Amino acid sequence: MNTLTVSPSPHVHSGDSVKKNMYGVIIALLPALAASLYYFGLGALIVSLAAVISCVLFEWAIQKFLLKTNPAIMDGSAALTGLLLAFNLPTNIPIWIIIIGSLVAIGIGKMSFGGLGNNIFNPALVGRVFLLISFPVQMTSWPEHGKNLTSYLDATTGATPLSIMKEGLANGESVSSLMDKIPSVSELFFGYTGGSAGEVAAAALLVGLIFMLLRKIITWHIPVAVIGTIVIFTGLLHLSNPEVYAGPLFHVLTGGVMLGAIFMATDYVSSPMSNKGMIVYGIGIGLITVIIRVFGAYPEGVSFAILIMNGFVPLIDKYIKPKRFGEVIKAGKK
Amino acid sequence: MRKEEKMNQWSNFSKGFFKENAVFTLLLGMCPTLGVTSSASNGLGMGLATTFVLVMSNLVIALIKNLIPDKVRIPAFIVVIATFVTIVEMTMQAYVPALFDSLGLFIPLIVVNCLVLGRAEAFASKNNLVSSIIDGLGMGLGFAMALTILGSVRELLGSGKLFGIVIYPEDYGMLVFVLAPGAFIALGYLIAFINRVKKTA
Amino acid sequence: MAKTESTLKNMVLTLLVITGVAGASLGSMYELTKEPIAAAKLAKQQAAIKEVVPEFNNNPGEEVYEAQSKEGFTLKFFPAKKDNQLVGTAIETMTNTGFGGDVKIMVGLKPDGSIINYQVLEHKETPGLGTKMDVWFKTDKDNQSIVGKNPAKNNLTVSKDGGEVDAITAATISSRAFLDAVRVAYETYNQNNPAVEKGGKDESVE
Repeated sequence: MNTLTVSPSPHVHSGDSVKKNMYGVIIALLPALAASLYYFGLGALIVSLAAVISCVLFEWAIQKFLLKTNPAIMDGSAALTGLLLAFNLPTNIPIWIIIIGSLVAIGIGKMSFGGLGNNIFNPALVGRVFLLISFPVQMTSWPEHGKNLTSYLDATTGATPLSIMKEGLANGESVSSLMDKIPSVSELFFGYTGGSAGEVAAAALLVGLIFMLLRKIITWHIPVAVIGTIVIFTGLLHLSNPEVYAGPLFHVLTGGVMLGAIFMATDYVSSPMSNKGMIVYGIGIGLITVIIRVFGAYPEGVSFAILIMNGFVPLIDKYIKPKRFGEVIKAGKK
Repeated sequence: MRKEEKMNQWSNFSKGFFKENAVFTLLLGMCPTLGVTSSASNGLGMGLATTFVLVMSNLVIALIKNLIPDKVRIPAFIVVIATFVTIVEMTMQAYVPALFDSLGLFIPLIVVNCLVLGRAEAFASKNNLVSSIIDGLGMGLGFAMALTILGSVRELLGSGKLFGIVIYPEDYGMLVFVLAPGAFIALGYLIAFINRVKKTA
Repeated sequence: MAKTESTLKNMVLTLLVITGVAGASLGSMYELTKEPIAAAKLAKQQAAIKEVVPEFNNNPGEEVYEAQSKEGFTLKFFPAKKDNQLVGTAIETMTNTGFGGDVKIMVGLKPDGSIINYQVLEHKETPGLGTKMDVWFKTDKDNQSIVGKNPAKNNLTVSKDGGEVDAITAATISSRAFLDAVRVAYETYNQNNPAVEKGGKDESVE
């Protein structure tokens, strides 16, 4: 563990600020945005713009008229929430649903708890889960990639790899026969598959991860813990019975694992403070995700897993505290 | 003198609607509040059933309060309440089977509604017959009102209807409000709204 | 009036009296409501039967018979007769393959086995998805409806499984369960009425 080095003043301001970090995350999301535009075309553009604009507008309106404070929409947090929400939606979803989702994300997920810094749950995920439960039909019909570059609402739809797997297994088919119906690993990696706007291209999301790690916007702990847990857990299941449980690569590359582990779970406000806490939190997300996917009713469980672990963060922070400034380390205790 | 007493009875009755509303202020009886309010008519039905039990148990307990030894008062109250709940259950099953079907399990649960036992313990066992009946009526109707409001909000947002009348197409309804999580969300915002009104009033 | 003291004798006595009075009043209440409750239950059953078979003038509730399905469910059969001629059978059937467990429906079959109508009695499916089954399979749109079809001639499974019925959007599992309950009803009906085995054409009993 690093020891804290404290030097006497004068200190140099590192230039870190909420604003800088938020825009850093947004920059890290740009490759994924580009990928979604490439695969889904017009639909991805409309959904992203609608979500970002309505999130910023709702944030401004709530701060201005309900809370009567100075609107702080330029810190980029509302725009980030909007972008993350858009990345979690199918690209053929009607705009009015996006607007409801933005209102829920900002109004219920963020402002009701006291605004930026006080929200217990990741606002974008609150909006997404609300929509998933409220409009299950629209939220689970995914446009096919690459075929609908110029169409929006009338895009042809297909199933995601995860739902093909879930329904096939429920129907008594074996994993190996189902794997033929699913895009290959390299196709999954570069995003030739159906799904939410921002979650399809693992490669683009990894580029974002590397950028954020280099800029020290996030640390490696949460993404590694989440993905590592999923790999180990699904790997063990796969080894125990390869015909019933799909392998780890399939689980990591499909659905929202990459997007969730890199961009959703690492949200500053709703994740633990200490490195150890982050690892506990990441393992929890990984475990719950696999349990929901393999044994639960829904084909995908990343967003539920992150929200559930968000609820545990205060508890994690209570028992695994970051080292306090000036704290004397007791002998015998590492 | 008489006028003052009338005023007291009026405030005794009206406190259940706003100042000491069971749902919005005291947060009592949360189980039926969250469980049955998926539609306005369910909320109203449950509220009226509870009102009946509340009035009758307040009445009986006010009558026999001095006969019951202190140490066994809770079991005695529960028996009285359970009796009236069972009467309501059987009557509903016989004459309004449709309502009985939709309220189902929650009717027997009126027995353990904190509101009913709470009023018996806190009010009826200390006050006279008339005040107790009025208290039961006020608290009960206040409870019914709260459940109907909550039910209306959830039905309107969730399925686009109000008392079964279509307001807008169901496809646009936010299903989450018909389900349990929506009950918590709607109740939370209603309480916040009422607290705000109270603050400014 | 003075408050009763909390002596053992007093406590036992009060509780005894209170429970006695409560018991007596509940007993008489039960007697009073017994008949209306039975009548309400019968009316509900009759209404459900009326929904799924053509007009009849017997009392199907009296001629009801039960049979075990292959899966071990106990099904109830209500024969509806008009002037002693069998016009249809309302079958209370079920399956345990629903998304939320058991799905109970009542389906009406003509003597030749074709489906007249159905009614959903009990289920725990997801609201907004599986719950749509109460009207979905009788809505005449695309290939949704099963009304008028005969399981002997039509493949009544969802189109994803190679059948000819459109599943409820985003609720394939509930749709499968519903159609499974229909299949259970038809098969068990066949076992008990071998005449319909070949779509009612062959009259010889095997």
